[in-house]
Order: sequence, then structure tokens, then C-alpha cells
Amino acid sequence: MTTNVNKSRSFLQTVANELGYSQGVTLGSRVRAGLAASAAALVILFIAGQFGNQMGLFWTFGLAFGFVLQRSRFCFASAFRDIFLLGHGRTMKGLLIGLVVATLGFALFMSKLVPNPALGILPPDANVLPLGWHMVVGGVLFGIGMVVAGGCVSGSIYRMGEGYVASWVSFGGIMMGLLLAAYSWNWWWDWQISRGPRIWLPTYLGHAGSVIVTLLGLLVVYLLVLWWESRSGMVIPDMPFRGSNEETFAARLGDGLKRIFVHGWPVAIGGAVLGGLNALLFIAAHPWGFTGEVSRWTVGIANVLGIGPGELKGLANLPGCAMDLGGGILHHMLFLVWGMVFGSFIASLFAGEFKIRAPRQKVRYVQAIGGGTVMGYGAGIAMGCTIGSFFSAIPSLALNGWVFALCLAVGAWMGTKIIQRIP
Amino acid sequence: MALKQLDVRGDICPYPMMKTVQALKKLTAQDEGLEVITDHAPALETIPTQAARLGYAAQIDETGSPEWRITLTRSV
Repeated sequence: MTTNVNKSRSFLQTVANELGYSQGVTLGSRVRAGLAASAAALVILFIAGQFGNQMGLFWTFGLAFGFVLQRSRFCFASAFRDIFLLGHGRTMKGLLIGLVVATLGFALFMSKLVPNPALGILPPDANVLPLGWHMVVGGVLFGIGMVVAGGCVSGSIYRMGEGYVASWVSFGGIMMGLLLAAYSWNWWWDWQISRGPRIWLPTYLGHAGSVIVTLLGLLVVYLLVLWWESRSGMVIPDMPFRGSNEETFAARLGDGLKRIFVHGWPVAIGGAVLGGLNALLFIAAHPWGFTGEVSRWTVGIANVLGIGPGELKGLANLPGCAMDLGGGILHHMLFLVWGMVFGSFIASLFAGEFKIRAPRQKVRYVQAIGGGTVMGYGAGIAMGCTIGSFFSAIPSLALNGWVFALCLAVGAWMGTKIIQRIP
Repeated sequence: MALKQLDVRGDICPYPMMKTVQALKKLTAQDEGLEVITDHAPALETIPTQAARLGYAAQIDETGSPEWRITLTRSV
């Protein structure tokens, strides 16, 4: 008996030595914190599953989106802003890769949903939204707001999970802006939204033609970014990952884990993964987006306080992130939004980047609340943020995605002029 | 000869980088370089690249969780 035990012990020791674990395995405080938060996420997943399959599914997607956003520091505000502020488009290029991946996934799925697009049928749930001045004004306001606040809606959500107090304030601003948009919704509906055309490219160009035109459009933007960068004469290399010099299995596994959990991901990888996740979510339920959900909270709270906007016209027939007022508190989208916060929280714990930090200058709070409000109003009337009206709309092969993107760029340029005047 | 200090903790993009660029432009011949303290991880990418544009090399040290010291010195 004893010899057997000794034998197996020495065998395990040999294996451990061979793999490079002769000192045993120790988990640092960051890893333990990350694992504890992951375990909590699993418990919530189990509880969410009790309320229906959709809840667990959306919680899981939320965690994944939040994790990837944090790891690649994917920031739509910086994608647009840095082009004007620094003359480089590193983040914008990552964003373009994400749009390519999502476009391919969306197109494939939509071609199954609507085999014959020439009949004029629109794919249900795709973000094909009415065009009009609301899209233009919404895009410009959103662009200004996201740059002034230092992050768009998704950026604020994942920074909330990293412990940025100002992002919580921005989120409050976004909610206020969405409420203001709800107050003026009927006016916009009567003037523009109700008669705005919903233009889905496959109706006119077929599926293949629309994909080709969309990819060519993204290629043109890419070439424009390269040309713009060449004028500013700057090369931005990604930070190189410096791994361990050892050759053991333990060292290699450690390097692999550090690349994922500690070292920031190249933004292009983040973009590609987010684009793929977006396509998967569309196949599972509907494209990525959350402005409609945040509107639902805002209007719900306003109703409780007796300052609700009353009846809003035309909402039943709008897809994407248009204000959605139905459903109870336990809506699957609630799990998506808080899943994103929690996913980013987990990622920042593993990376050692979590910290509750508040800006020291009071003007930053003014920027957060003001920028957030302007951005929220823009998202309300444009029926989506940088995700719903852009990152899910261009892949929906919808013209409104391109209109919103162009207006975002104009707004971001204006926002950059504003922040350059704020010390 | 000494390093000037710049503390941008609490600030988020693009301010850590913008403030660093301003401080670098104000350095005199007596200053050897600039030490920037930040707790905003994206600044670890933006500050070294903008500093390189002005002729400074960067060295990053992790000094807390999360806190970094970026030492910027004139590259020859």
C-alpha cells in the first residue's frame, strides 16, 4: 500500500517537474478575485435561468461583450475622436474589421430569413430604421456627447464595471437624455420618423450585391483612414507582449493566459470578436443594442414619479433600439446590460485594472452629465447608439447605418473642438 | 537635472495624453524628462506614442493595482 502511494506521489512529482510546476501552483490575489467574480457570475446565470432561457442566454452574451470590450479597450468615442485629435485611426481600423465580420454573419443569416428581398419584405429584427432628420440630428448630437463625456453608451457601460465613477455619472446623463427624447418623441414621429423610408440595400441590390457594396464602402473608409494617417506622419504600433523566457509548459501556459487576461488585446482582435458575437446574438435572438432597454428603465422610473411622457406613437413597428416600453422588470435585456457591466468587472479584476476612481476636476462631472445627456437624446431620436444604429445597422445592410456613421463623425469632430478648450 | 512630475490619476482618455503633451512642451533644457503617474490603462498606449512624436522614449513601471509610472526621457 505505502509503496503504491509513494509511487503515485513520485509519479505526480515527475509530471509536475516535467511541466514546470516543481514549485507547485499559486494563485495571485488578482486571479483569486477574478475567479470569485466568475463564480458569482455563474450563480447569477443559474438564477437567471430560473426565469427563462432568454435571461440566461442574454446574461452570458452580456458577460462576453463586457469582457471583450474591457480586454480590447474598445472605444467608439476614441475611434472617431482620435482621427481628429491625433490624426490616427488605430481604433477605427479595429472597428472596421468588426463591421466586416458582423456584415458577413448578418448577411448570411438575413439571406435565410428573406430569400427573396426584391419583394420588399424587411428581415424582422434587423436594424433597418426610418431615415430622416432625426437620424442626422441624433447622429451629430451623439457624436458630440460621446467625445465630451469621454465614452459612448457601451464605453460608459464597460467602464462602470472597471470602477470609473464618472462613467456612472455619464450613464445617469444618458438616462436623462433618453427621457428628454421620450418627451419630444411624438413631435419627431409626426414630423419625420413616421414618414421616413426604411431602406434595406438587398431590396435593390440583392444579398450578394449589398454585401459587396457594404464591404467596398468599408474598404473606402479604410483607405481614407490610411491616407489621413499618412498626412499626420505617425505610426502607432500595438504594445508588444513580452512573455517569459522559459520554455516549460508552465511558462507557456502562463504566457497564454497573460495574453488573454492581463495584456490588452489588439483592438483589431477585439473588433473581430465583437462582430462575431453580434452575428451570433442576431442568430440567437436579435442584433446587439441596448438603448431601447435603457429607455425602458428611464420611462418606467418617470412613470412611477408621475412625470412620464405618456403615450408614444408608432413604437410597436420599429426594430432595433427604438424605445421599447413593454415588459416587466425582469426583461432579458436587463441581463444583457448588467451582464456587460459584470463581464467588464471580471475582466478588470483578472487584469488588475479594477479601481474605484473619481476624477479630481469638477468639470469632468459636468462633461459626464452634459455629454451623457446630449448623447442620450441623440440615441433616443436616432433609435440607437453606436451599437444599435451603427455597429448593428451597417451589418444589417441598412442605409441608416451609414447616415448615422457619417453624422457621428461630424459630431465627433465638433466634440473634439470642444474638449480641446476644456483643460 | 531632474525629472518633472505629472499626476493624471482619475483622468480618462484623452486627458492623460493631452496633459502629458502639454507638460512635455513646457520642459526646459534643465529638465531631464517627465514622470507621469496614471491609473488609466489606455494611457499606456497613448502617452508613449505621443511622447515619441516629441522625441521622448517611454519606460512603463507598474507601481500599484492599477497604477503605472511612465518615465519619459529625451531619446538621443
